[in-house]
Amino acid sequence: MKKWPMIIIAVGFIGMALAFTLGQILPHLRASTSGMEVDITDPELIEEGEYIARTADCVACHTTLNGEEYAGGLPMLTPLGAVYSTNITPDNDTGIGTYSFDDFNNAVKHGVRQDQSALYPAMPYPSYQIMPDEDVAAMYAYFMSGVAAVSLPNRDSELPPVFNWRWPLAYWQALFAPKREFVAEADDPILARGQYLVEGPGHCGSCHTERGLGFQEVALSNLDSDHYLSGAVIDGWRAKSLRGEHRGLGTWHTDELVEFLKTGRTDVTAAFGAMAEVVEDSTQYMTDSDLHAMSAYLKTLSPAPGKEVTLPPKEDITTQKLLDGAYDSRGAILYAEYCQVCHRADGKGVPRIFPALDGNSAVYSHNADSVLQITLSGGRMPDTPHDRMAFTMPEFINLSDADIAEVVNYVRNSWTNQASEIGVDDVVQMRDFLNKKPKTATDLPPDLSVTAAAEGANP
Amino acid sequence: MNNLPLTLPVVTSKSVRYKNLALIVAAACVIGISGCSKPEPVDQNAAQFDLVTADDANEGIGTYVLPQDTAILDEPNADEIFYGKRLLNETKRLLPDHVGASMNCNSCHISQGKVPLGDPYINSYNTYPRVMPRAEKEIDLEARINGCFQRSMNGKPLDRESPEMLAMIAYMKWLSQNTPRNQKVDIANAGQVDTSLVPDPVRGEQIYEAQCAACHGDNGEGLKDSRGDIVFPPLWGDESFNIGAGMARTYKAAAFVKYNMPMGIQVKGLWGHGNVLSDQDAVDVAQFFTHKPRPDFAGKVNDWPSGNKPKDARY
Repeated sequence: MKKWPMIIIAVGFIGMALAFTLGQILPHLRASTSGMEVDITDPELIEEGEYIARTADCVACHTTLNGEEYAGGLPMLTPLGAVYSTNITPDNDTGIGTYSFDDFNNAVKHGVRQDQSALYPAMPYPSYQIMPDEDVAAMYAYFMSGVAAVSLPNRDSELPPVFNWRWPLAYWQALFAPKREFVAEADDPILARGQYLVEGPGHCGSCHTERGLGFQEVALSNLDSDHYLSGAVIDGWRAKSLRGEHRGLGTWHTDELVEFLKTGRTDVTAAFGAMAEVVEDSTQYMTDSDLHAMSAYLKTLSPAPGKEVTLPPKEDITTQKLLDGAYDSRGAILYAEYCQVCHRADGKGVPRIFPALDGNSAVYSHNADSVLQITLSGGRMPDTPHDRMAFTMPEFINLSDADIAEVVNYVRNSWTNQASEIGVDDVVQMRDFLNKKPKTATDLPPDLSVTAAAEGANP
Repeated sequence: MNNLPLTLPVVTSKSVRYKNLALIVAAACVIGISGCSKPEPVDQNAAQFDLVTADDANEGIGTYVLPQDTAILDEPNADEIFYGKRLLNETKRLLPDHVGASMNCNSCHISQGKVPLGDPYINSYNTYPRVMPRAEKEIDLEARINGCFQRSMNGKPLDRESPEMLAMIAYMKWLSQNTPRNQKVDIANAGQVDTSLVPDPVRGEQIYEAQCAACHGDNGEGLKDSRGDIVFPPLWGDESFNIGAGMARTYKAAAFVKYNMPMGIQVKGLWGHGNVLSDQDAVDVAQFFTHKPRPDFAGKVNDWPSGNKPKDARY
C-alpha cells in the first residue's frame, strides 16, 4: 500500500525529466542551417531588408513609446503577467549583435533563440515561418548594418514560475507551429503575392484570427480553415473579421482597402487603436502594388462561417430625429451633446477628418470592444504624409459607465447600423482593463508643435 | 459564487468538519477579497468649479457642477431649454433669415458653451446686463446675443420677445444652475495672450496652411457636411464673420485660437482641442486670417463712441 505514492512520485519525476530533456532537444530539431553567406554591407540588400522589416512590422513590438527604435521593452500583457519584447538592435551585449544569419533566421522563422531555447509565441514566428530565407537574409543585413546599436538589457517576463520556463514552449511549438511552406491558393501572381504578405510577414492573423486554448491561432492560412482572419479580440480592440461577410470586409472595395492601408483613412472610416499603429509603422511604407495585392487577396476570402453574409436593409430614421431635436432616448441626448458636432446628425462624419459612424463596420461589429475602448480612452488616426493632420477622438472617461453604455448602444443601433446591445458591466470591465493597459503612440495626440509641422508637411 | 460553501458535502466527523470549516472560511476570504476587488460602475465625473461672489473673486463660497444635457429632462421647461441648445448649435440651419454668415453661435462657443476659455455661457445669465467697453453703455443679454447675430454671424437681430431668443436664454439660465445673481462661477471666458507681441502674417500663413487649412480650407472657405450644414466655419470671405466681430480682432482671435484650436487633436477636452500654439504662433496666425477680406459692419460707427479703441480694432 505504502509504496504506491513513492512509485507515482518516481514515475512523475522520471516523466518530468524526460519531458524536460526532450524539451531541450526539440528546438535543435526546429533550427536549421542554411549555409547562406549574407553580405551585410550590400546597400541594396540593406534597403530591401528595411522594406521587408516594414512589411513584417518588427518596429511595432520591438520599440516602446519614446524608446529607441528596435531596442525592445514593450510589455505584452497576458493574464499571468507581462512578457517584454527584446532588443533586436545589433548591440553585442544586449541585442543581437552576435547573431549569425542562421541564428537570426531560426529566431525569426522558427522561434528558436541563439541559445537554442524557445521564444514565446508573442513573436509571430508561426506566420514568419513561410518567409523565404532570401528575404530573411535581407532583413538580417538591415538589422546588422542599417539599425543603430542600442545598449538596453532585456527585461525578464513577469510570468510566475512554471509559466516562465522555456522548455515547455518547445512542445507548444511542436504542436502549434509546425514547419510549413507557403502554398499559394491561386495561380494569379498578384493574389499569390497578396496571400503571402497577409499570411507571412504581414502576420495579419496575429490579431485578426481567433486563438485557441493554447493561445495558438486556430488557423494559420485560409487553406487551414475559414476561421482564418475571421476576427478576434486583442488588447481590448476588436480586430475585425477580414473575410467576406457583411460585418467583415463584405462592404469594402479593394481600392478602399488600399487607401485605408496606405493613408489610414477613407472617406468614411479611419484606422484607430492597434490598426492605427499598423498603418503608421508598417503599411503606409508599402508599395502600391503590394497594397493592391494584399487587398485583392483579402477580398477573395469567403464569408466567415456562422456569420450573416448580408444584413437586412434598415431605414435611417435617426438623422431626421436628431435634426428635429426629437431625442427619443438618453443615448440620443448624449450623442447630441458629445458626438454630433463631429460625427454629425447623419452619422456620416466628415471625410478624412471625422470618421462616419453610420455604415462603419468597426462600429456595428458583434463585439463592441473597439467602440468602447475608443470612446473611453480616445486615440488618434495614423500620421502619414498623405494628409496634413492626424485627428484624434477625445477620451470620454468622465462619463458614467451607464452613459457610456447608452451612447455606445445608440451609435451601434442608429441610422442603418444594427448590432447587439452591451451592458454596463462591459463598460466596467473595459475601464478596469484600460487602467492597466500601457499607452501606445496612437493613444496620444499628434505632435503639432510648429517645429514638427515645419519639418513635416510644411518645410 | 457566494453559494459555494453550500455546495460542499455535508460532513459528520468532527475533525473533518473543522477542516472543512477552515476551508469554508478560507474560501469565503478568497471570495470576499476578490469580491471587493471587482470594479463597480462609476458615476459621471463632472467638471466642477468654485463659486465666488461677484465682488471678491478670492472668496470661495461653494461649488458649481457642470451639468450634462440629460439633466435638462428634470426641468419644467425642458423643451424650451433643448430648443435653445439646438438654436445655439445649429443657428444657420434653424434661423437662416437671421444668420448671414455660414456660422453658428457654437462655432465659437466651444462644446455648447460649457468649456472655460472657450467662450462659455456658464456665467452669461448672471453677467448681463453689464456695461460693455465697446458700446460704453449697459447691454442686456438679449442685446448681447443680438450683437453676435449682427457681427459674428453677419445677420439680423431676433425679436427680443421671440420664442427663439427666450429659448436661448432659457438654456443659458439652465447652464447657470441657479447660481445666485451676486455670485459667479470662477472661470475665465477667454485665455490670455501677450498683446505686446508683434504679429508676423507671413509666418501666420504658414501656420494656417499646416494646422488650420485641413478643416477651414485653403481659401478660408470652411467645410460643410454631407447635408450642407456647417462643420468648420469660413474664416474669411463673404460667408465669414464681419469686421465688427470680436473674432476680427488680432489679439482676441489669438486668445481664442491658442486655447481652442485646432479641434480633434488632443485626447483631453470635450472637443480634443487647443493648446498647440505658442502666443507668438497664435498672434501670427490670427493676424493672417483676421485681416483677410470679410463683410463690413454698418453699425461700426457706434462703437467706442468716446474713441477709446483697443489697438487691434479694425475701424
